[in-house]
Amino acid sequence: MIASTLSQLSMRAEDALLPVAIALPVGAMLLALCLGGRWTERIAVAFMPIGVSIAGAVAYVVWRDQRPLVYFIGGWAPPLGVAIRADGVAAAMLLTSALIASAAGLFACDVFRVKPGEKENRAHLGFWTLLLAIWAALNCVFVGWDLFSIYVGLEMLTFAAVPLVCLKGQKETFVAAMRYLLFALLGSVLYLLGATLVYAAYGSLDIGILAQKIQPEAAAWIALGAMTAGLLAKTALFPLHIWLPPAHAGAAPPASAILSALVVKGSFFVVVRLWLTLAPVQMSEAPAELLAILGSVAIFAGSVLALRQERLKLMIAYSTVAQIGYLFLMFPLAIGQHPWASAAWSGGALQAISHAFAKAAMFLSAGLIVDVVGHDRLSGLRGLGRLAPQPVLIFALAGMSLMGLPPSGGFNAKWLLMSASVQSGHWALALVMAVGGLLTAAYLYRVIAPALAPAENAPAESASTPTPKASSRGAALSLALALAAILLGFAPPELASLLAVGAPAATIERIE
Amino acid sequence: MNDAALALSTFAYGPQTLAAALGAPLVLMLACASARLRRFGPAYLVVAPLFALAACVLASDSGPLVLDQMIYPIVLVLDPPGALLLGVTSLLWLAAGIFAASSMRDETESGAFVAFWLATLVGNIGVFMAADVASFYLFFALVSLPAYGLIVAQARMADSAGGLYVSVALLGEAFLILAFALLASATPDHSLLISDGVDALPASPWRDATIGLLIAGFGTKIGLLPLHVWMPSTYRAAPVAAAAVLSGGAVNAGVIGLVRFFPWGHAVPVWGEALVVLGMSAAFYGVAIGLTQRNPKTMLAYSSISQMGLVAATLGAGLVAGNKGAAAGAALYAAHHGLAKGGLFLAVGVLSGCGTLRMRRLTPFVGLLALSLAGLPFSGGVIAKLAIKQPLGDGLLGALSTLSAIATTLLMLHFLRRVAALAEPRVSNPGWALITPMFAMIAASIMAPTAYYFAIENHRLVSLDAALFWESLWPILVGALIAAAARRWLERLPALPEGDVGAFAARPFGLFARGGAAADRGEIILRRWPVAAGALMVVAIMISGMGVLKP
Repeated sequence: MIASTLSQLSMRAEDALLPVAIALPVGAMLLALCLGGRWTERIAVAFMPIGVSIAGAVAYVVWRDQRPLVYFIGGWAPPLGVAIRADGVAAAMLLTSALIASAAGLFACDVFRVKPGEKENRAHLGFWTLLLAIWAALNCVFVGWDLFSIYVGLEMLTFAAVPLVCLKGQKETFVAAMRYLLFALLGSVLYLLGATLVYAAYGSLDIGILAQKIQPEAAAWIALGAMTAGLLAKTALFPLHIWLPPAHAGAAPPASAILSALVVKGSFFVVVRLWLTLAPVQMSEAPAELLAILGSVAIFAGSVLALRQERLKLMIAYSTVAQIGYLFLMFPLAIGQHPWASAAWSGGALQAISHAFAKAAMFLSAGLIVDVVGHDRLSGLRGLGRLAPQPVLIFALAGMSLMGLPPSGGFNAKWLLMSASVQSGHWALALVMAVGGLLTAAYLYRVIAPALAPAENAPAESASTPTPKASSRGAALSLALALAAILLGFAPPELASLLAVGAPAATIERIE
Repeated sequence: MNDAALALSTFAYGPQTLAAALGAPLVLMLACASARLRRFGPAYLVVAPLFALAACVLASDSGPLVLDQMIYPIVLVLDPPGALLLGVTSLLWLAAGIFAASSMRDETESGAFVAFWLATLVGNIGVFMAADVASFYLFFALVSLPAYGLIVAQARMADSAGGLYVSVALLGEAFLILAFALLASATPDHSLLISDGVDALPASPWRDATIGLLIAGFGTKIGLLPLHVWMPSTYRAAPVAAAAVLSGGAVNAGVIGLVRFFPWGHAVPVWGEALVVLGMSAAFYGVAIGLTQRNPKTMLAYSSISQMGLVAATLGAGLVAGNKGAAAGAALYAAHHGLAKGGLFLAVGVLSGCGTLRMRRLTPFVGLLALSLAGLPFSGGVIAKLAIKQPLGDGLLGALSTLSAIATTLLMLHFLRRVAALAEPRVSNPGWALITPMFAMIAASIMAPTAYYFAIENHRLVSLDAALFWESLWPILVGALIAAAARRWLERLPALPEGDVGAFAARPFGLFARGGAAADRGEIILRRWPVAAGALMVVAIMISGMGVLKP
């Protein structure tokens, strides 16, 4: 009797995980906004362990039950009500964003802290509330199972991300933020247009229902085309990437880390939902090829442009443009009931996750490097390895994952995607990945090689001024992120079984 | 001998010994992160390879070590060619470690150099044990990429050697990951065991592409023509101890790769012939360019290109005939080459800056090592030549192999002359910590191949065979005669640029820079609002149009 009551209770506790994952960061944000001052930071930091635990619990439950976790808001199932749902990849993304948001947030304690006796200003208040807002928005996007909830999440994501770009208040960051805002708004309009069309044509916004109803007909094509274009603008897939480099490079390091690692993944995740879950296979074949072509071009263009940059943070931002391209290679490989589709699905998810960790670590280490040398010109990094070995080590470890060198999550992702492309006959994609890895190595070499070289005139300089040291807490946090990207290369088989839950290669169950 | 081998093969803790061989350098590498522990760096260089040395005896032919708590389980085994190469490689790392510890105090106490050294060591040990594709790729990357830190440790600012090295190494990695993806995709159940992949390779729809990519990938490591361009500048720029382990140890990662991944027992004529032609060309090309060089370390690099050419030709001949014996022969040849070449690099370190008198005393021993590469009787080289004799056969390839021994003699004698020129009359002589490793290599280069040959193949003491004695001696005599006769002429040869054809390969980079400038201009155009908004619309219309416009 008691046992069954307890088990019922625990069932209910599990069901509550998803709404809590969205509601709690929203609540924390509102509370922080009301209390203000030093409370904003305290509330955000206090929320971190809670947010990570919730995401961890969702991932554990999905892995344990080997089926997606579903919650009907208000107890009403679709078509009447609204469902939120976490499949394996959504759960993994929830956990990834919780961990990275926490690490970047703790890193920011040194940057955005109201010091005793100092007056709170816009940046202090802004950073912590925006961090919580981004966290909530990402959770909403990842677990959203109807096009409108996802739209709400995407809007919140955009409006929280844009001010993060210009917190420092310099003129050029405002220009970058304005460009980002306009581009993201255009994207939102297109998405909303598509969602409206879908509702008009099929009378539902629930992804499970639409997956059964949608037909390859004009309304569906136009709707999906508009929504996808809007999402690609927000994801900054080439040639719609032009807002990204100035925005990501201009922000403060922890903000850049969150923008590059997490925010672009939100809209990417929705593209995956649209073409791999919602659209029928006969419909997604051709657009999937187009997405992979755009992704390939992004890899080449982004890498070549990264090679051309003279500033460290701009180079890392263009590296994001290239790495976003990798994400889109999964589309033609992961559609249909082929034996290689599940490898491609896991590979794409793992690429998103390991890029998130590696890129966050890289932006944070760039912040540490700038703290030490006082500038971010690539030409002035000679001898950095002796001056500040930790940031260089972190940069190199993160770079290993971006290059796809073993052992790293980037390598495992590349291996899965490459095997899938060989087996499915997409030879060109395998070549793109191999050449892309070389180009990645080429632009990272421009940082690592001078850093390892003996310094030219360091002794004279260091004799006159004491070398500023990188914050040890910042170094530890970014090292942890870089190690996470590396350790994903030793991921246990449980991770693969988590990512496979609800993969499109297994038939999507309709939520009744 | 057999009883001893049997007793060792039943050693119960074989797999654990493999783990210790890899774990010891890994743990010491992590210790370099701590400022307090980093001071003992010189000791780490000496301690780290000892476990691998023990493993090559204790873990040979024991059961596999399987770590299956990962998506890709790691499987480690030590088969006879692996054990041989592991043994000689760890011996070389030990000798070079002692040399580095006493000759490079500043670098070895600073942490980074030791960490790079140990990472390369882990990779070098691991490639000989890895039985699955994923861990092989991991160890191959480790033996290739961290070595960059060793090469640039003492390099001058404008030296492009490290950059060239890492470019070719990364190119090799790219070839190999494509090859491995093809191999694994053709394996039933997608097993990642190398043996399963190789068994399925002859029937693979991508057989030729796989083998071609394998040759290109491992060719970057062994300096197969035309992928040899990195070798001369790398060995010249690297500190002596690092050049020793790279030329004698790391290079064998490429050899074991070809040995492990070729489908022995199935004839693959086209690729086999290509490998024979490239290898034999390199055997002579390396000597020819090497003779024009001034720097002894560069000359040794060209000798490596030549010797690895012979290894490649042996493997190619085996691939043409489907002859498994070629793999064992090539491994033995490469093992001896590793010891001799590593020893010769250490010898350059010992002799440069040596006083004239000491130089005169040491040179005969260095000469022994140098001519061992040409197959001097009673040296390890004669066993090595014997090992590749059967796969190469008695025909044209056998004759070319003999000719290459003449050419190698010529190059090595010229090398000795160039080294002798390094002597300076009033310089402090090297200490025993520098000389002992070199003598250890001399002793090992004689004993290790001989012991292995007799232990594994159960042969009689063939070295004492009169016919064989003469057969291996006359090419050396002829080479020595030519060297003496052409001495003046050799001195007057024009000095070709180090890296020969590589010096002309910089041209594509100019093209690349021009492409980059075009990308910059494109980016500026894309940044204009009408263009950006237009691109957004075009993407939307393209995706929609895919279905709407379809008939």
